[in-house]
Amino acid sequence: MKLISIFASVLIVCLGLIAFADKRLPYTFCWCWRSDLHFFARQAPHKESNEYVSYGSYASETDWNNPQHLIPLDYEQAQGKRIFYEQCVWCHADSTPAGPSNRSNVSPDPPLMNDGTILNGESDASLHRIIAYGGPAGGKSAMMPPYGLTLRDEEIDDLIAYTRIIAAPDYHKPVSKPNWIWRSKQ
Amino acid sequence: MPVKQILQAMRWVPHVFAILSALAFAVVVWPPKTEMQEWKPSIRIQTGFVEKHPGIVAWKQSILPAQYAQASCGACHHDDLPETPRLNHGRQLLARLNCIGCHQLQNVDRPAMLGPDLTNVGSKVSREWIYKWLKEPRTITDADGGVIVDGVATNPRMPHFQLSDLELRALSSYLSVQGAKFIGAHNTVRASATAPAGGGDAADRGQTRFNQMFCVTCHSLAVDRGGETTLIGGDIGPELTKVGSKVKPEWLVAWLRDPQRYLQHTRMPQYEWSDRDLHEVTQFILTRLTDPDLLKDVPPLGPPKPEEVELGRRLFVEKGCSECHVIEGVVPRSDFGPDLSALGMAAGPFLVEVKSARKLPTNLHFVKSDERRLEIGISRIPRSMIAYLQAKITDPASVTPETHMPQYHLSQDDLDDLTAALLSMIGTPISGEDRTRMIVERPHAEFHPDGEMRRLYERYKCYQCHSFKGYGGTLAPDLSYEGSRSQHQWLVEFLKDPQTLRPTLTVRMPHFNMSDKDATSIADYISSTLQNPNIPSAAAVDKGFTEQMAEHGKQLFEEKYKCQSCHTIGSSGGYVGPSLNNAGNWLTAAWIEAWLENPQALVPGTIEPRQSIPADQRRDLAAYLMTLKQAAVDQSSSIGTAAGGAQ
Repeated sequence: MKLISIFASVLIVCLGLIAFADKRLPYTFCWCWRSDLHFFARQAPHKESNEYVSYGSYASETDWNNPQHLIPLDYEQAQGKRIFYEQCVWCHADSTPAGPSNRSNVSPDPPLMNDGTILNGESDASLHRIIAYGGPAGGKSAMMPPYGLTLRDEEIDDLIAYTRIIAAPDYHKPVSKPNWIWRSKQ
Repeated sequence: MPVKQILQAMRWVPHVFAILSALAFAVVVWPPKTEMQEWKPSIRIQTGFVEKHPGIVAWKQSILPAQYAQASCGACHHDDLPETPRLNHGRQLLARLNCIGCHQLQNVDRPAMLGPDLTNVGSKVSREWIYKWLKEPRTITDADGGVIVDGVATNPRMPHFQLSDLELRALSSYLSVQGAKFIGAHNTVRASATAPAGGGDAADRGQTRFNQMFCVTCHSLAVDRGGETTLIGGDIGPELTKVGSKVKPEWLVAWLRDPQRYLQHTRMPQYEWSDRDLHEVTQFILTRLTDPDLLKDVPPLGPPKPEEVELGRRLFVEKGCSECHVIEGVVPRSDFGPDLSALGMAAGPFLVEVKSARKLPTNLHFVKSDERRLEIGISRIPRSMIAYLQAKITDPASVTPETHMPQYHLSQDDLDDLTAALLSMIGTPISGEDRTRMIVERPHAEFHPDGEMRRLYERYKCYQCHSFKGYGGTLAPDLSYEGSRSQHQWLVEFLKDPQTLRPTLTVRMPHFNMSDKDATSIADYISSTLQNPNIPSAAAVDKGFTEQMAEHGKQLFEEKYKCQSCHTIGSSGGYVGPSLNNAGNWLTAAWIEAWLENPQALVPGTIEPRQSIPADQRRDLAAYLMTLKQAAVDQSSSIGTAAGGAQ
């Protein structure tokens, strides 16, 4: 009993010292943003507001259906957003940076990029195939040209990641079976 | 007894063991608070950073908040990376906001002209207007006095200086006596500006002419749309909504005739004017683009007094005006603002190139004292470099009350981008080869046309909108290989009467009223010089297209490749690509085939997707497109539609 209590008290003192040093040091030497984040480094603030959303994310996208709502984007989604506004926006959105959309000139109507009712039904692999090899590769219209020679594979993946995050209704990744116990380390 | 003695002696061993194991647990088992990790190939890195930078160890989480993370890329990459749009935009802002005028920056070069040359400004504007402009350089604000109108910042490039009334009076009187006699000698132009011919009708015709010439491609105007003020037009030139209340009439006429005579480095091209057009457009600007209330807040100033002029002369240098504006005979101070080219170092090294993470102390990223670190003194701004920078930019007086730095009104996004660009500067010298690829206002000087074209190139300022071999503007199509793309005759006609190929664009090529001789000279130069070496010149090609080929091409166009989703032929089709109605007169067959094979090889970054079209199909598509010809359009009707588009 005595041994355990000695062990515990020394441990507590040491951990306390380390924590203290860790918490104090940043204030003394570090000019990093938000030095209080150093202690629990990966702990994010819990508040959910636009301020936080635009802070600390690579980019943000306004929810297409709700201008008040900002969606934070991670790196891949941010790259997807960039490529979308370069290549896809002309037909897959109702307005473009340069003026009216081309969507009405194309038949059948191209789905909007955030149209979850259509795009959530397609798997990532199927979307990738359609973007890379054109509409006919996925049983769609040839109005959708192939981008496999224009975009790299990872750029197409970025685009899909962007579609998924802005989808309305929300996209949920399909879970095939509960294999999380045996899932190999990524 | 020895055993008892031994046990007696070992009585403290478990205690020592407990203490040691606790220490060992705390120091060794308890993970150090560092996020430095060596990336394992099996970990999928979001940024693709590791694949491109083998051997570099990176933090798992960026030390900078994610919206500034691209600053780390900029530490080594001095050119545009497509993956770092925020950094690129921030660097463009650094150039646009003239930060280089007072500070030394790492990735930005000093352009030929930062602000207008003020040597003759007294001939252009009145003292009252200068007073108003120095006090508040924004002429358009929304109801709350905001600067964002319709999502577009109406800020002029001139920032907001906080000047006292005395300083305003002194500077306005000093500037108003600069070169006031400059235009006065040209009585002829004065006469044509004030000739009372037509009155109000002249202004109406001037407005039509103003729209036809597409002045709004570069200049913006605020218009009232259903009670909301919106800004229409480009931002290459200044916004013109109230310019009629600003400039003197005789100056305006002289300026429109030859802008480069007043400002050597202006971006404004020199138009070819008929006297009537000039008179009507001048009337329009002076009578319609006005605001009688513009100068109502200005106290009566009277004629400039000598002591005010003398004080203004001193303030012009002391306040830093001379860092951006030139007045002949005034010598600016060197190193007016602090050197910012190592600013990123002060925020801490954010990319550490090491082979092993083990030897690193846990607090590696804490800034060690470095002689290049900036001294920021005492302030109430949070001790974070980012908070400090942003406070300094948006309200400099909150950081240092006696600062000379002007105030900038930026949206939060712009501010973040600008911060990222500032943090990317880590002060290492940039080698010679990289210098040419730095993010600056692209130097047109690198592209030198010869002969007659040299004069026309400067006169019409082609490079402000078009790019040539990597230099020039990005507003209009890249013309590096225009000689391979377009037929000579089409070029001549287009230059004389530019008609847009993309019907939905609001920004169009201005109408220069170019003479036949100039148009032919430019077309000759383009056809002979701006050639792609891989495309046989138009004259050398006799394709021998047959009708079957064209027939087959039409089928491919409409059925297989569905080109009509983006291109218009006849009256149906998409708006994304150019209209192909006149492709037979416009394009060369060799260009079409090369283009269909690999568009990005001819125009980098074009959005036409590259497809694998077999050679015979490319030939058939070219044969089809070469059959599409349109009779020359009646000039007057085309101008009518063009003007309609600008409304």
